[in-house]
Amino acid sequence: MKLWEYVVYRLILAFVVIFFVVVIVFFVSHVIPSNPAALWAGAHPTPEEIEKAREELHLNDPLIVQFYYYLGGLLHGNLGVSIRTHNPVAEDIGSAFTATLELILVAEFFALLIGVALGVYSAVKKDSWIDNASRLFAISGVSLPAFWFGMVLQLLFFKQLGWLPLSGRVDTVVMLEHPLHVITGFYIFDSLITGNWTIFQNSILHIILPAATLAMYPVGLITRQVRSMMIEVLQENYIRTARSYGVPDRMIYMKYALKNAISPALIVVGLSLAYTLVGAFLVEIIFNWPGLGRYATYAILSMDYPAIIGVVIVVATAYVFINLIVDLLQMYIDPRIRV
Amino acid sequence: MDKKILIAAIVIVIIIIAAVGAYMAMPKSKPKPAPSTVIYGYMVEMITLDPSTEFSNSIVTLANLYEDLTKYVDGNVKPWLATSWESNNDGTVWTFHLRENVKFHSGNPFTAQDVKWSIERTIRMGQGAAFIWDPVKEIKVIDDHTVEFDLKYSANLPLIASASYGAWIMDSKLLSPIGNDTQIAGYLNKGHDAGTGPYYLYSYNAKTEVVMKKFNDYWGGWNDKQFDIAIIKIVPDASLREQMVTSNQIQITRELPLDDIPSLENNPNVKVDATPSYEELYGMLNTVKAPLNNKLVRQALAYATPYKDLVKYVLNGYGEVAKCPIPKGMLGYFDDLSTYSYNITKAEELLKQAGYTGGMHLLLTYTAGDEAEKKVAELLKASWSKIGVDLEIRALNWEQQWSFATSDPSKAQDVLIFYWWPTYPTPYDFLFNLFHSEKQPFFNLAYYNNSQFDHLIDQAVSLEGTNIQKALSLYHQAEEILMQDSPALFLYTPDDVYVVSNTITGFHDNPGYPQVVFFYDLQKVS
Repeated sequence: MKLWEYVVYRLILAFVVIFFVVVIVFFVSHVIPSNPAALWAGAHPTPEEIEKAREELHLNDPLIVQFYYYLGGLLHGNLGVSIRTHNPVAEDIGSAFTATLELILVAEFFALLIGVALGVYSAVKKDSWIDNASRLFAISGVSLPAFWFGMVLQLLFFKQLGWLPLSGRVDTVVMLEHPLHVITGFYIFDSLITGNWTIFQNSILHIILPAATLAMYPVGLITRQVRSMMIEVLQENYIRTARSYGVPDRMIYMKYALKNAISPALIVVGLSLAYTLVGAFLVEIIFNWPGLGRYATYAILSMDYPAIIGVVIVVATAYVFINLIVDLLQMYIDPRIRV
Repeated sequence: MDKKILIAAIVIVIIIIAAVGAYMAMPKSKPKPAPSTVIYGYMVEMITLDPSTEFSNSIVTLANLYEDLTKYVDGNVKPWLATSWESNNDGTVWTFHLRENVKFHSGNPFTAQDVKWSIERTIRMGQGAAFIWDPVKEIKVIDDHTVEFDLKYSANLPLIASASYGAWIMDSKLLSPIGNDTQIAGYLNKGHDAGTGPYYLYSYNAKTEVVMKKFNDYWGGWNDKQFDIAIIKIVPDASLREQMVTSNQIQITRELPLDDIPSLENNPNVKVDATPSYEELYGMLNTVKAPLNNKLVRQALAYATPYKDLVKYVLNGYGEVAKCPIPKGMLGYFDDLSTYSYNITKAEELLKQAGYTGGMHLLLTYTAGDEAEKKVAELLKASWSKIGVDLEIRALNWEQQWSFATSDPSKAQDVLIFYWWPTYPTPYDFLFNLFHSEKQPFFNLAYYNNSQFDHLIDQAVSLEGTNIQKALSLYHQAEEILMQDSPALFLYTPDDVYVVSNTITGFHDNPGYPQVVFFYDLQKVS
């Protein structure tokens, strides 16, 4: 199979998967007993308002007709209107998703950097105290609950030391004095390209704690993966050969060994990206980060099904595409898979 | 040393020196006095910004941008945009005299035309709290500062005009050229306002924060201790809000865990402000289904309910036992009704009298996620088990709970716990919605049906505007019937508990406008 054939095949598969996700979530969320008309009309509505809401939401139609309306909208990129806030779901998710993505990308980037460095170092200095310490760190990263770790960080860096802000994406008052021209929705990037240094600095300070909390899990995962792969690879014959030729250690570790050890780590990165998306749900609540997790929590608690389906579609799509990208990256790094 | 490393080091040193030099050489702008800012940490996001239809928590924003004709303060109707009002003898024609020299945020003058346009739009759209204007037949502009309401039937219009939902006055000259009602709603929801209030909307993000700035031409004037910028910041996590208010990141918040309030009372950085709210928790008893269709059984439950324990353990003391179907402090609250108090012997006697000696199974529903309701349910279960009641507790989200309750009363729950608070502070709002007979169950979730009661409250509300004493005596009779019939347990009225930073002063909770912080009242502590 040629590469482009493979990509097309995977894309078709992705759409089938997403379609079934939509079907399942739509029907499950409509079967659960609830009263969307009551949610739509507000706290103390009149019977007339409830009837009006039923009409507007097509609730008097059979479920299959409702699904037809929904799917019709979906094909036009319309995710419907949130029952709770009366806002277009696509618009809401759009702004929430960039906030989450910024957080996840920063967390994953540092997780990768620290994880690979720690993994390589532990493998090279196997059974030294540094190795033991980093293994302990990795295990606690995987097993400590994010909400607990986040709160500890808040207590330490905000309350005790006063170095970092408590919550949010950026300081409200600072934002008022130095308004940010939002282009992509990634505050760090936007402030950088518009030369808004105050916001740049402020948003970096704000992202440190939530990103560190979120990165704990992938750091642990990547460290452990890279370490075990490195240990394995370092025992291979070609490494011994390279050593005997007098190739410098740094070159052996970083070029010869790591290239073979990093490929499985990449799978882990892909998986952990998806996991961080889930982890972000908790971290966003603790740090008041206006992202997808906070949005989804509200939607689920109030059975706001257009919003729930919207979130599920976005997350499922992200999952499918992250997997695809990881597979392609792996092919690029490791030519042995390219068959 | 490696040559490459040496070169790299030199380059880095040069860059650092250049950067520091550039920073030092930068012209330092003189720090101008920062505008004073006050932040209200709020629990949930905003819904809509349309004053005609908004029927939810966005009034915390609207009440600072817009004003009503009248304001409800401590049980009295006070002037706001109207300075005085009078009616004919039977309360069917009301004339309001409007405040002069009031400007909208657009600069347009406020006139009688705006009153007519705003309320007519609210009625026309028929959403949210539009039903409060049901008595209105016609609104006439007499002159620029006089407006007349002709009613279909007698009503207490000044009280209706003070409502926290659906009574805000908008800038008709700004809004009417925008288009039809839906287009206007779209314009407003994009983050515009059209009010006369002390603050105008500066930036709006329903999910994160609402920024309002002081309106210099506000008719009430300003002093330099009031705040230039008022922000409502959405922080859903209660423990985060607590950390923020104790570290002065926000200056005021509410709905912190009640378990933490005693320690906050001792925190030198904040003060706790607890005021009785106009909200009451009811246990609606299913009056059409056995065994609670028997009045004696309902009375037995009312006697077996540990009211004081509920206030002590659920509210941590921040609230009061409800002695009446109407919350304390509101019109129509009476403390001389025949209330129930905890008395197990009496409860047992009543059950015996009713012929229930072998125990019974009852189903209670409450709103999932509401910790207080959950604790109430558990305490009821424990206490009622002493008189042989086996209580099954079921948590449903409100919409589910409501559909279950309104589907078929004869198969529905036996006990339903829920809160009620008024759209505008009249006892009729409580008594009509919760206990007036209904063809289809809607909010009367006790399914109570008593024509004598219906008649009394319908008569009372028509007298509210003209003969308040007579109206109150009718309400008193009606409420006494409720106490005897016991279609519901009147559990408690919780306090509104705000935690306020010591850097501000002037906060005064007005339970007539639930959850609203009027930023205009707040001042810096010098």
